[in-house]
Amino acid sequence: MNTALIEKVIKEIEGFTPKTEGEHVGRVTAVGDGVVAIDGLADAVMSEVVVFETGAGKRLEDTLEAEAVFGLVLNLEEDGVRAIVLGDAARVVEGATVKSTGKVLSVGASEELLGRVVDALGNPIDGKGPFKKTHPMPVEREAAGVIYRKHVSVPLQTGIKAIDAMIPIGRGQRELIIGDRGTGKTTVAIDAIINQKNEPEATRPICIYVAIGQKESKTARIVQQLKEAGALGYTIVVDAGASAPAALQFLAPFAGVAIGEYFMDKGKDVLVVYDDLSKQAVAYRQLSLLLRRPPGREAYPGDIFYLHSRLLERAARLSEEKGGGSITALPIIETQDGDISAYIPTNVISITDGQIFLLADLFNKGLRPAIDVGNSVSRVGGDAQTKAMKGVAGGLKLELAQFRELEAFMQFAQDLDAATAAQIASGQRMVEVLKQKNGAPLPFAVQVAVIYAANNKFLSDVAVSQVTAVEAAFASFLDAQFSDTLAEIQKTGLLSDDSKKELNRAVEEFRLAHPEFFTENA
Amino acid sequence: MEQEYASVLVRLVESGKTPKEAVAALVAVLKRHGREALLPRVARAFERTASRAALRTQTRITVARAADAAAAQQAAGATDAHVTVDDSLIGGWRLEQNGILTDNSYKRHLLDIYHRATRA
Repeated sequence: MNTALIEKVIKEIEGFTPKTEGEHVGRVTAVGDGVVAIDGLADAVMSEVVVFETGAGKRLEDTLEAEAVFGLVLNLEEDGVRAIVLGDAARVVEGATVKSTGKVLSVGASEELLGRVVDALGNPIDGKGPFKKTHPMPVEREAAGVIYRKHVSVPLQTGIKAIDAMIPIGRGQRELIIGDRGTGKTTVAIDAIINQKNEPEATRPICIYVAIGQKESKTARIVQQLKEAGALGYTIVVDAGASAPAALQFLAPFAGVAIGEYFMDKGKDVLVVYDDLSKQAVAYRQLSLLLRRPPGREAYPGDIFYLHSRLLERAARLSEEKGGGSITALPIIETQDGDISAYIPTNVISITDGQIFLLADLFNKGLRPAIDVGNSVSRVGGDAQTKAMKGVAGGLKLELAQFRELEAFMQFAQDLDAATAAQIASGQRMVEVLKQKNGAPLPFAVQVAVIYAANNKFLSDVAVSQVTAVEAAFASFLDAQFSDTLAEIQKTGLLSDDSKKELNRAVEEFRLAHPEFFTENA
Repeated sequence: MEQEYASVLVRLVESGKTPKEAVAALVAVLKRHGREALLPRVARAFERTASRAALRTQTRITVARAADAAAAQQAAGATDAHVTVDDSLIGGWRLEQNGILTDNSYKRHLLDIYHRATRA
C-alpha cells in the first residue's frame, strides 16, 4: 500500500462517523441463465437497479477489490421481483441478500466517449482507461412529446448515391435497413457514418454504432475501418457482442440512444445505428421466457412491438425551444430468405419512416449497394432533400422502375423499337452510375454533379462496362478542376443556372481530355 | 399449479379458517377436479411458501461472536431477534427486520472507509 493511500485511509478514519441507515433488502430464491428470482423488495420499481451482496461470509480482504454485481428489476410479482443480472451471474448465489438502490438504470455520457468503445452499461472496453467525468442518462426515458418536436427538414447525407438520390434521409428520421445476411446492411450504415466527415464540423452529427450480438471480430474490424477513415473521432461504439449476456444485448440499443440523448439535449445532431434489432429481439425473447412471461407469436413476448417502438420513438428532431438537436435512427433488421413479411421485420417496418431493402439477388449480380428500389421508400425524407438533389434525381426512381420492367421484358423480346432500346441503354448506364464501392461515400455535391451529367446524356456513348470507371474519373476531374462549383453546390444546396453551365463546361472539357472513353455509338 | 393451490391455502389460513378447515376445503376442491395426486406437491409448495413468509417476517440479528449477541440485541433494540453468528463481520451487528437491513458491522464500516479512500 503506498503512503498516499495510507494517508487517505487515516484521514477517512479520523473523519469517520458510522452511518447505520436501513436499506430495503430481499433474498435470492432462485438463480439461473442470468435471471434471478428475489423474495421481498416490496418497494422496488420497474427498471430499478439492485445490488447483490456477493461478499457475505467472506473475509474482509477477499471482498475489498470485488466488483459489485448489479441487477435490473424487470418483473414485479406478488411476493417478490425477478431481475436480470448485469454482470457475472456466477457470483450470485441462492440466499444472497439483494439491496435496493432506488435508482433506475442509467449510463454515463459525455464528450469523453467520442472515439471510444463502451459496453451496454457505458463502461469503457477499449483499454484506453476510465472516463473522468460522465453525466448519468436514464436508459429508459419517455420519448419527446409532439409539442417538443419539429418536422424533418434537414438532410442527413449518407454519401451513397442511390440513397441520397432516391431514398433521402432527414435528420430525426428513422430509416430501416433490411435484408438477408451478407447483403451489405452494415456497409450502408458504416458508409453513412464515414460520410459525416464531409459535413462541416459545426453541424456534423455525432455517430453512435450499437453492435448487438455481433461477432467481436466484426466489431473490431468496423472500429478499425472507422479509425482508418478518420471517422472514429466523432463516433461512439456501444458493443454487446455475441458472447455478452442476453441482458446486455437487450439493453445495448437503449444505452446507445441514452448516450445520443445527451448530445441531442445539447442541441447536437446524432446518428444512431442499431446493428441489429433482430438479435435484440431474440435476446429479449430469451429473457422474457426465462422471466416466465407468456410467449406469443414465434415465442416472442407480447410487448416485443413496444420494445422496438419505444426505442425508435426516441429518435426525433427537437424544436428550437428544446435546443433543436436531433437523433436519426438507422435500425438494421436481418431477414430470412428475403421475407420482409415475417413478424419482427413487419413490426419494425411499421414503426420506422421508411426502409432500405437490400436484395441478395442484386448483391450476387454485383450491384452494390444492392438496393431494391421498388421496395425501398423514405416517407419523410423527401422534405429534407436538397433542391439540387431533388432537381437532378426527381425522376430517377420512376426511370429505374421502368427500366427494371423493360429489362424483364427484354429477355423474351427479339426486336425492340428505338425508343425502348434507348430507354434500356439509359437505364443500364444509370444502374452503373448508382453502383458504389464499399467504404467510399461521395460528397453530396459530387453526387449531384455525376447524376446531372448522367441525366444529360454524358454517358450515352460510353460502353456500359466502362461507366463506373468514367464516373470515377469524372468525379476526380471535377474535384481537381471545378472545386469552386462543387463547393458552391455543397454550400447552398442549390443547382443554379451558373452551376449548370459550369457542369456542362466540365463535361465538354472531360470529353476532350478523355476521348478514349467515348467510343460507343449513341 | 401446486404453487397456486399453496398460495390459496395460505390465504385461507390468513383469512381466519383453522388449518384443518383449510386443508379439508382444498382436498374437496382437488377431488372435485380429479387432482388429488397433486396433494403431496401442494404440501411441499406450502412448506416452501410458509418458510419464505417466516423468513420475511422474522427479525434476525447477525453478530461476529456468540458472546456479542445480547449486547447487539440491546443496541439494535431487538431483544427477541433470532441470532446467527458470522465471524467475517469482525464486530458490530446486522439487523434484518421487515425487509429492512441495518448493517452496523465493522466489516461494512471498514469497506466504506476503503472504498471512499480508493475510489475518490
